[in-house]
Amino acid sequence: MEEKLSVSPASLVDQLVVPGDVILDLSSMANQTIKLGGGLRQDGDVISVIKAGKLRFSKPNKYWVESSHKRYVPSVEDHVLGIVVDCKADNFLVDIKGPSLAFLPVLAFEGGTRRNIPKFQVGALLYVRVVKANPSMNPELSCTDASGKAAEFGLLKDGYMFESSTGLSRMLLSSPTCPVLEDLGKKLSFEIAVGLNGRVWVNADSPSSIVIVAKAIMNSEFLSAAQQRIMVKKLFDKIQSSTV
Amino acid sequence: MGEMVREDGRTANQLRPLNCSRNILNRAHGSARWRQGDTEVLAAVYGPKAGTKKNENPEKACIEVIWKPQSGQIGKLEKEYEMIMKKTLQSICILTVNPNTTTSIVVQVVHDDGALLPCAVNAACAALVDAGIPMKHLAVAICCCLAESGYLILDPTKLEEQNMKSLAYLVFPNSTTSVCTEEASLVDGEPMEHGIITSVTHGVMLVDNYLHCLERGRAASAKLSDFLRKSLKSQLQSDS
Repeated sequence: MEEKLSVSPASLVDQLVVPGDVILDLSSMANQTIKLGGGLRQDGDVISVIKAGKLRFSKPNKYWVESSHKRYVPSVEDHVLGIVVDCKADNFLVDIKGPSLAFLPVLAFEGGTRRNIPKFQVGALLYVRVVKANPSMNPELSCTDASGKAAEFGLLKDGYMFESSTGLSRMLLSSPTCPVLEDLGKKLSFEIAVGLNGRVWVNADSPSSIVIVAKAIMNSEFLSAAQQRIMVKKLFDKIQSSTV
Repeated sequence: MGEMVREDGRTANQLRPLNCSRNILNRAHGSARWRQGDTEVLAAVYGPKAGTKKNENPEKACIEVIWKPQSGQIGKLEKEYEMIMKKTLQSICILTVNPNTTTSIVVQVVHDDGALLPCAVNAACAALVDAGIPMKHLAVAICCCLAESGYLILDPTKLEEQNMKSLAYLVFPNSTTSVCTEEASLVDGEPMEHGIITSVTHGVMLVDNYLHCLERGRAASAKLSDFLRKSLKSQLQSDS
C-alpha cells in the first residue's frame, strides 16, 4: 500500500481535508486491511472524510483525521476528567462533555464491593477511563485500569480545573513532553491531570503556582514549540520583575 | 446583456467580497461569521446534546435551527427560512453517527443587504465544520436574480433584490478533492458538485431562465467552494 500511496499523485496524507473529500479508493486495493479512526467513513467503494482536519496515516494501515473541538465524543480507552452530577444506587452519573451523561458503576473501583461504596459529592472531579462507548447508549466509565488496579484513577482533590479543546489535551499528552509542560516543570513543581475530553486539572503547593501553570497552558493552545518556550520564559521574567 | 453594469459597479456574474471567520464565540461548540459585501450572518452550533425533540426520530440525530432577526420578533418569513435551513443541513449532515441527540444552530442576522438566506446557509455550514459535526460534504449557497428584461445577476444587494421579477436561492454541494480518477467520482455521469441540495424560487420565471440560473449558480458555486476550502484550511493551519 505504501507504494500505491506514493505513486498516487493526489495522496492527501498530512494534508488538511474537509468533509466530502475522498482519501482512498478501495476498488484499486484488493485484499488489504485498513483501519479507520475518527473523522472517516466508508461510502461504498471509497473512504471519505466527515470532519475537517489533518489527515494522518500511521504504518502499516491506520488512517484518521486529527482535529480540535470543544465537544467530546466518547471512545473506548480514553482517559477523561468527569464531574459527578448525580448519585444513584448503582451508578454515579458523570458529565464528560459528551452528548449524554456517562455511567460510573459504584463497583468499578479497586476492590469495589457493596460494602465499601465510595461517597462522592455532586460536583466532585474524577479521573476516569471510558470502558464502553456505543453511540446509542450512555457511555460507561471505570476508576480502574484493565487489570482492576486503581492506577491513579479516582477523585481529584483540591487544585483547579479548566476546560479547553480536545486539541490542546492531545498536545499536552503527546510524547515527547510538550515544551510548555517541560519548561514549567523546570521552574515549578505541580501536578497535572489531562483528560482527552478537553478538561485539564492542575494542583500545586501555592495558589499562585496553580494560576501560573493554568494560564500558561491556556495560552499555549495555538502556539508552536518555540513560541511556547518564549511565552513561558516571558511569563517567568514578568513574575520575577513584579516580585522584586 | 453581459455588459450590464450594476449600481455598485459589479458585472452580472460578480460576487461581492467574501469573508469568513470561525471559532469566534467562546461558549458555543462551533461558530462562524460569514460576510458577503454588507450582508453579515453569525452562526453558532451547540451540541450534540442528549435527546431529540418531540415528533423526531430518536434513531437519528435531530437538527434544530433558530433564526434570530436583526431586530424584532420572528415572523412567517423567518419561520420559512428556519425550515429551509433545517432541511438543507439535515441532508448534508450524517444523522446516524450520533442517534438520539439534538444539534442546535442559532443564526443571528447582523446586517441584511440581500442574499440573506444563502449567506446564512454558508455561515451555518462553516459553523458545523467548526463544531466537528459529522458531514457528508459541505454546501455552498448562492442567490440568482432575474430582472424584467430577462438578464440574470448573481448575489444581489437588497435594492437589486427588490427591483427583480423573480429570484432563486440555490444550494450546491462543494467540489471535493479525490484520489479517485475523474470518471470514478461521477454520479450518474456528472460530477458531484453539479447536484443540487436546495432550490427556493420566488416570483415567476420560465423553465429556460431557471436552467440558466442553475448554470450560472454552478459556475459561481465553484468559486464559493474554493473560498470555503481555503478559509477552512487557513484557520486549521493556525490551530495546529
